[in-house]
Amino acid sequence: MSAFGENKGRIIFGAILIIVIIASLAAYQLTGHMSIEDRYNTAVGLPTSQEEEGGTFHGFSMEGNPELYLIVLGVFCAGCYIAYKHFRI
Amino acid sequence: MAHIHLEDGSFSLFWVLTWWIIALCIVGVALFLLRSKNKPEKITIAAFVTAAAFAIFQIQIPIAGGVHLNLTPLIGILTGPVMGTLVIFIVNIFSAAIGHGGWGLIGANVIVNFTEVLVAWLTFRAMKRITTDLFSQAGVATFAGLFAGNLVMIAVILVSGIQGVHQTPAQILAGLSLLAAVNMGVAAIEAILTGFMVAYIGKVKPDILEGDRK
Repeated sequence: MSAFGENKGRIIFGAILIIVIIASLAAYQLTGHMSIEDRYNTAVGLPTSQEEEGGTFHGFSMEGNPELYLIVLGVFCAGCYIAYKHFRI
Repeated sequence: MAHIHLEDGSFSLFWVLTWWIIALCIVGVALFLLRSKNKPEKITIAAFVTAAAFAIFQIQIPIAGGVHLNLTPLIGILTGPVMGTLVIFIVNIFSAAIGHGGWGLIGANVIVNFTEVLVAWLTFRAMKRITTDLFSQAGVATFAGLFAGNLVMIAVILVSGIQGVHQTPAQILAGLSLLAAVNMGVAAIEAILTGFMVAYIGKVKPDILEGDRK
């Protein structure tokens, strides 16, 4: 494949990236700052939720129950270990 | 991403059951197709992407008020649409189990996520004819998958209708289109991340890229 052929993918990706970012910023300006649930509720005409904000870490937060999250993730990790030991990659 | 963030009760029981039945049919077909394939190493890859997708799915990133990634395009690229269907089904079930998303919406969300997996996988394969660069193959595949997922998400909500609201379908469509546009901004982040991950995997273990298989 020629050098242009090699770069063609990057050009396509870059063009999509720019279009998407511009469209997304314009939509964000129109809708304003809100949580993802409120964004859905507003979009379909439901009242926005009045849920209390949970704990955050540098702005990052968790959806769902943190204890259950850790338990399920632990089970998944154990499953990964067993699968790797058994089947390899 | 295009995961439908509405509470149980938003869809009528008829549509909850309809989407659940369609989702179970998709999962059933995937299970049937997997019977004839004997690739044990794919189980390990599926286990890893399930754990990774579940882990990242629950984390809200402080962008545009809070969004989350879901890694569905990466699931498609690494495991393909058949195994990927089971992965997204498991992730959706366990996400609902810990309180992220309603049980009634799992069917609809599996359909949305299945679209993302399938379109990303197809696009990743198609991009091979255009470029050899794995980063852009995966990046464009991610954009395509998540864009298709957003379209299906809008279609599912429009077809189902929302109980207890008085907006016209045109108003809902306008609102959801803006929401999808914001979602696509997050797709940009996911596309870059997926691009880097696939490019790295392509360097160290190229044989596990499902989209590479003939």
